[in-house]
This record gives sequence, structure tokens and C-alpha cells, in this order.
Amino acid sequence: MPMWTLIEYAAWAVSAILGLNMLWDWYRTDTTYSEEVLTSSREGEIEAMTEQHRM
Amino acid sequence: MAHYKPPRQSRAGQIIDVFVLLALTIGALYVPLWLKLAGSSTVQTPVENPTWESLGQSPVMVERWAQLGYATPADAHDLITTRFDYAFTWGAVALMVVVIVGYFVMMLRLSEKEYRDVISEKFDGK
Amino acid sequence: MTDTDITSGTMDGMGPKGTKIGLLRVLGPAHVWALGVGIVLVGEYMGWNFSVGKGGAYASLIACWFAGILYTCVAMIDSEVTSTVASAGGQYTQAKHIIGPLMAFNVGLYLVFAYTMLEAANAVTVGFLVQEVAGMTGHAEALNDDAFIVLAIVFLAWLNYRGVLATLTFSLVITAFAFVAILLLFVMTAPAVAPGLLQHGELMSGGASLPYGWIGIIAAMHFGLWYYLGIEGTTQAAEEVRSPARSLPFGTLAGIMTLIIAATLTWYVCAGLMPWEYLGQAGTPLFDAARLTGSTFLVVILGIGTLFATLASANGCINDASRAWFAMGRDKYLPGWFGAVHPVYRTPYRAIIFLVPIALLFALQLPLDQIITFSILSGLLGYTFMPINMILFRRKWPLDSIKRGYEHPMHPLPAITLLALCGVTYFAVFLGYGTQLIAMIAFYIVASLWFHFWRYRFVDRGAQFTMPWPKPRGY
Repeated sequence: MPMWTLIEYAAWAVSAILGLNMLWDWYRTDTTYSEEVLTSSREGEIEAMTEQHRM
Repeated sequence: MAHYKPPRQSRAGQIIDVFVLLALTIGALYVPLWLKLAGSSTVQTPVENPTWESLGQSPVMVERWAQLGYATPADAHDLITTRFDYAFTWGAVALMVVVIVGYFVMMLRLSEKEYRDVISEKFDGK
Repeated sequence: MTDTDITSGTMDGMGPKGTKIGLLRVLGPAHVWALGVGIVLVGEYMGWNFSVGKGGAYASLIACWFAGILYTCVAMIDSEVTSTVASAGGQYTQAKHIIGPLMAFNVGLYLVFAYTMLEAANAVTVGFLVQEVAGMTGHAEALNDDAFIVLAIVFLAWLNYRGVLATLTFSLVITAFAFVAILLLFVMTAPAVAPGLLQHGELMSGGASLPYGWIGIIAAMHFGLWYYLGIEGTTQAAEEVRSPARSLPFGTLAGIMTLIIAATLTWYVCAGLMPWEYLGQAGTPLFDAARLTGSTFLVVILGIGTLFATLASANGCINDASRAWFAMGRDKYLPGWFGAVHPVYRTPYRAIIFLVPIALLFALQLPLDQIITFSILSGLLGYTFMPINMILFRRKWPLDSIKRGYEHPMHPLPAITLLALCGVTYFAVFLGYGTQLIAMIAFYIVASLWFHFWRYRFVDRGAQFTMPWPKPRGY
């Protein structure tokens, strides 16, 4: 039955589109922003904001 | 304690480190496969000319086998007669215990050493 | 951290250390529940039944409940520590603050591998299900499932890349559906609705009661973990939850209760419908159970339920594995390049992309039981770490020294129980899969040495301790 063969090709096509979309966005992001900004996230800063842990 | 200043790692060094980790992972997964040591150990106890009775199946079981698509005793024979092999030697158990406990002890001791540096730099440096 | 300016409107997370782009805090307790249960519920749709194969139906039920005790301890311990250490790294960050860097590195690897393997196993199941459906609708030759495995992984990675709220809302909806499907199956097979359908007495008597004797009960613990594997992943959402100290314990404990109910119902229905020899090796046991009821409605519902459960699980796995990988990159435990956050979607996008080809490699190349065993073993090592972590946490920071969002009762009983059950499970895995056990520990030993003697030089010593806690006791 060709229907399932078509579905299989469609699956490949959708995978490729989504994959390329991610790669393109990755490339654009890395070339638009500086590395310092992108990797500026630091652990535990939310803690300082939400609560003080001393009793 | 003097403040430790880590070196900045080059792009190439970063890539090499990722590949080392990948090689280790893939090694751990594929080596048992290549050595044909992977998978469960099972044994077969074949029954000659199997009937539902000789396979130990009751009428209700037979009815369910039929609904699942196993119409004759021969169809279900392999599923019913395959059993795990739980025979083991105490030496192998001891080896497993030594490896697991040894791994955790090594890791906890090295961690403790690194941890004391972290704490002294974090709390005594200022 | 008293110098933090919490009125600053310019920096994300009001960071004193200069976070310009951080993860986005948008999730509520329901998303935490969906993340935890979503990863695990697939265990009810496939995999748990291998415990029936290892010891028979009664052994599987006993394993289900003992594993339930194990995971209740896990959830209690995790809730207490994580209500205090709220970070995207989850158990990795806990280990870093409480035990030490090398332990943290190992825990981070456990997380990434347990989840990436589970993700691969889910994708394989999606492929298998599509093949089944193609066969049932009259596709002549066997359908090649590669396209669907790739699609499942790439689609979910794409969803994760584009933002966490949409991702976990998607998970919430499909997880709820899969859970309701199990409830429906239970109601529609009940003796009052369908008399004579469930035949526990007939199917589980004589030689079928405990085919391997008592050792079978211990052996069944191996796959007994599948009923719940992954519930501890809720902690990975900590930097994206609106109030972690409240939502994480609530979502996690609600999750484990949901799962104990779903696991018991699943066992009850399946054990009453199928001979144990079949059930012990079935690929999609709940789907088979629906077929045995003779109801087309149930077949469709449970078929969709299986698909949804695998997707929800793979989705949660991508979420958790990428957060753990990201957190390790951020601390330079892994190359710092991975510690980047997407400026628009606020997701750890490089970690998400990097893990895609790895998941594909495993899903397309390795046999399913190998993938599952690697996942279970990585999980098990993580559970062994937890009691050690808990005991040291209470010792270094007793209850009166820092504020906890949740304090679990009866310490140290849960920790000791958990450690003992882990010991039993190692032995259960050893029965039948001893080689994998040794190979994997060897991998972690080599990786540990590599980290201690090489990689750790790139880590800033004091700065990785980020929690605003007092100095630990005894140092």
C-alpha cells in the first residue's frame, strides 16, 4: 500500500525541516549574541532572590 | 588557602574532551555486545510433541493463548519453555560487591578531598 | 548574599554574579507532576512486565510494592534536599554542595545517561507501535521504522528547543490522557462490567504462581524499578518553577502516589488477562490487554495511550538530560560552551542539540534490552547516592541551621531503607545481567579518574558552591 510509504517519506521530510530549523536558529543565535551574554547564566541566583535561608 | 585560578580551555581542548567522554560511553555500551556477553542468560527445556497439558496450561490459559494468536501448543512452546538461568557462584557475587563498594569508596574519598578545597576557598578566603 | 538588589529590573534572576540570560520561571506544580509522571508512566505501558518474566505474576506485584517503597524514600529524600537546593542540575547540584565535585560529576552522568537511554527506548517503542498499526491496517511488507524513530526524537527536541512552557504543557495533556486510559481499562474490565474476563485465580495457580520460587521475587526487582523509573527527574525543573520550595515537594509526592495507583491497577488488569509466560515478554502489555477485552474502543484508547506515554516520557527525558548537561557545562565540569541559554526561548539550546545525535545513535543501533538495562543501572547508581547524600546533608547542616521547604519524617529510616533496597536490586540485576553491571561500573570508574586527574583543573573551586548556606559542620 503506498499510503504508508507516503507517510514514511512525510516523516523524513518533517524531521528534516524541524532539524534544519533548529540548526539555522542555533547558527543565527551564536552569530548574533556574544559568547559572554549567552553563557552568563549562573547557578543559585534565584535562591538569592526568592528566599534567605538563615532562620 | 590561595585562590585557585582555573586555566581557560581552548576550543580544541573542549572538543577533545567531549570526544573522550563519547568514546568512553560508546565503549561501555558496545564492548559487552562485541564480546557476546550482553543480554540475559536463559535456558530452554524443550517438550517433545507438546500438548497444552504437558506444557502445564489450564483451560482458561489455553483460551487466552488462542485470543493472543497462539492457536496450537507448538506456537506457544518456545515462550512457555524458555526460563531464566539464575544459577550463580558466590565468587561472582563477591566480585560484584567488591566492584560496587570499591567504586563508591574511591569516589567518596576523592570527592571529600576536592570538597575540603571548595569549602576552604569559599568560606575562609574572604 | 545580603547585598542582592532584588528591585533591579534589568537582570534576570537579579543575579549578583551577572546572569544576563537565565532560564525562564514559568512552571507550576501541575507541570512538575507532568514532568515526573510523564517520564515514568510509559513504564506502565511497556517494560514493567519483564518483571513478570523474571519471577511470575505474584513476584511482579511484590516487586512493584517494594519498588514503590524504594521510590517513596527517593521522593521524600529528594523533596527535602531539592526544596533547599533548587537548581537546574537537580541531584547533580545537590551532590556538588553536599558530597563533593567528583560525586557530582558522576551523578550528572547518571542523570544524562539514564534519561538519554530512556528517551532512546521510547523512540524505539514509537517505531514499533507505528509498525504494528501499519500491519493492522493492511500494509503489506514490514514498514521501516527508522523514519518514525528519527521523527519522534527530532520533533521533541525541537519542542524543547522552543521553550519549556509549551513543552511541559504538551506533556501535561498527553500524560493526563495516558493515565485516564489506564483508569478506563480498569473500570471496563471490572467484574461488575465484564463478568468472567479477569481470571486471576485460574491464571496464577499451581506452577504459574511462583515459577522460580523465592529467588524469582528478588530477580523481579530488576524490572520492578520500571514501574517508577524517572520520578526523581522533577528536580531538574527547579530553575523554571515559580516557587520551587513549595511546588517541587508537592509535585513529586503527588507524582509518586499517582504512580503507585497506576502501577497496581496495571498489574491487576494484565495479570488477570494473560498467562504469565506471554505477559513476561510482551512488547506493549496494556495494548494487548485492550485487545483481549474485545472492545475496539479500548484498543484505540490504549493504542493512543501507549503512543502518548512514550512521547511524554521522551519529552521529559530530553528536558531533564539537557538541563543536567547544561548545569555541568555551566560549572566547567564539561566544556563551558554547553552552559549557554537561548536568549529568546530561554532554554539550554546547545545541550538539547548536542544530545539529539547521541539519542539517535542509541535508538537506531542498539538492542532494546541493552538500552533499558543501561538506563536502569544508571538510575540505580543515582538512588544509591541519595541516602549517602541525605545522611551527610543532615549531618553537615542540621535542621536548625538552614530553612528547608520540606522536612521528611523519620530520618534516617528512609535513607537506610533505600540503601538496603538498592543492595537487593543490584543483586537482582546481577541475576541475568551481571556483565552489563560490571561493564558499566568500569565505565564510571574510568570516567571518574579522567575527571579527577584531568578535567577538574578547569573548575573554579570556590565559585561552584553557590547556595547561600552557612559553612558546613565539621569543616
